[in-house]
Amino acid sequence: MAATSVHKFAQCISCHAWSPDLSMIAFCPNNSEVHIYKLSEDKWEKVHVLQKHDQIVSGIDWSYRSNKIVTVSHDRNSYVWNQEATGWVPTLVILRLNRAALCVQWSPKENKFAVGSGAKTVCICYYEQENNWWVSKLIRKRHDSSVTSIAWHPNNVLLATTSTDGKCRVFSTFIKGVDSKDSAMGSSADTKFGEQIVQLDLCFCWAFGVRWSPSGNTLAYVGHNSMIYFVDEVGPSAAAQSVAIRDLPLRDVLFLSERMVVGVGFDCNPMVFVADESGLWSFLRFLDERKSASSSAKYGGSQFSEAFGKFYGQSKFSASNNVEQSRGAHDNCINCILPLAKQRKSSVTRFTTSGLDGKIVTWDLQKQEDLLDYL
Amino acid sequence: MAEIVEADNYEGIITRIEHKSRKIESLLKQYKPVEALKTALEGSPPKTKDERCKSANWIVVHRAIMAIKDVDSLFSALDPEYYDILMKWKSEKVLLKFQSLSFQEIADKLFELMVLQCITSCRYLYRGLSTGDRPTCDQCLRIHEKLTEKAGLGCILRCLADTVNPV
Repeated sequence: MAATSVHKFAQCISCHAWSPDLSMIAFCPNNSEVHIYKLSEDKWEKVHVLQKHDQIVSGIDWSYRSNKIVTVSHDRNSYVWNQEATGWVPTLVILRLNRAALCVQWSPKENKFAVGSGAKTVCICYYEQENNWWVSKLIRKRHDSSVTSIAWHPNNVLLATTSTDGKCRVFSTFIKGVDSKDSAMGSSADTKFGEQIVQLDLCFCWAFGVRWSPSGNTLAYVGHNSMIYFVDEVGPSAAAQSVAIRDLPLRDVLFLSERMVVGVGFDCNPMVFVADESGLWSFLRFLDERKSASSSAKYGGSQFSEAFGKFYGQSKFSASNNVEQSRGAHDNCINCILPLAKQRKSSVTRFTTSGLDGKIVTWDLQKQEDLLDYL
Repeated sequence: MAEIVEADNYEGIITRIEHKSRKIESLLKQYKPVEALKTALEGSPPKTKDERCKSANWIVVHRAIMAIKDVDSLFSALDPEYYDILMKWKSEKVLLKFQSLSFQEIADKLFELMVLQCITSCRYLYRGLSTGDRPTCDQCLRIHEKLTEKAGLGCILRCLADTVNPV
């Protein structure tokens, strides 16, 4: 089994994040709170509850180096949480939004974080030492709809966004006094804040889940039309590939290496995509091996009840017959996937997923021999 | 000026559809219903918002769909035909990398292309179901079952999400 541990924390989980040492996990149980659990002696214990938001927390990110948590919520606010002797202390970040904040991510250097929102804007927030204050700079009038996902390029300047207007865009977020012009950034250091580097018009419906490959050479994002898009050499001469999926659409993606991507979504089962030597991406297989539901053939109505159960995210509809055995690690839509590593690495073999079924599942590819070639 | 261009365009599309219709009729007379369906789906849907063109095209597609007697053999017969489509797609930017592939690799990719083609036919099936006509709905549901079995649920999603090419 590729899934090494399955733990149901809540009825439903909107997002989750790992502490730098991977001993603690923060997640939102689909309400205004953030729960932090610690693993002690093989048991998860609730150690903190972060209460400050008024509405559902839609994004959490825990920084690797500075041990800070940033949360965003539908209440249009963001908080940066610092761990002090008394517990987690919040600092309000004024985002100046008039719609819900939807996603958040720390930049690789952790001196900035980006927030995507329903107000068709992206906020780039940075810390001002003299005022002891997080400042938000907005990228406005670029998106025609809600920003559903954001991803930082490893160079700490480029930011990719996906939106419900179907486009994927890449912006420069260079901020004077925060970013320094060094050679590692290449030509992107010459661009101004908010300048659009490229706009990708591959998808004609909602786009979700964008990620850069570890090197930053490839960009992947998904569409609600059961497609996944791979873009090489992002810039004026970008080369794009669209891969049609046989099954239900994806919600989020993660690069495990330059040549392997895992996509998660409405099929409740992670999908593995790999690139061959020529750089051509294709679907390889599902990660969760499920036994074929032989029992379901015996019962006339079981296929229907399984679908019904899936629809409502409840298992009680199928509890009466044997379909339960054929279920995988997740039994509802997966909406979040994160690498399980103590620092940013070029390849990861372990990652976690969370979804609307309230489970957090840890996956390990160490024993999946057919996949190790691609790492 | 714009209206004249639109009228020319209309005439052109109708002529093409009439030509297609004649071709389909002759194929049906030769008992080649799969060929007829392929011809009906080719080059469609016409990129026009004109309802008359859409209706004319639909009548032709409907004729081909209804002529299919054996749904099972339809799907087993469709596969090898897709080499032609591959050649057509070769010029597309997205598939540029196919040129460097071996014959076997191309064969592996054919399924993907078939799925793309299925989106088109799926869209016509929904148009057929919307008519409410009993024999049409029967036939469309039969093909729909086999199509989703073969091409998965993804093609339904792509069909629903496509707002650019309505039939």
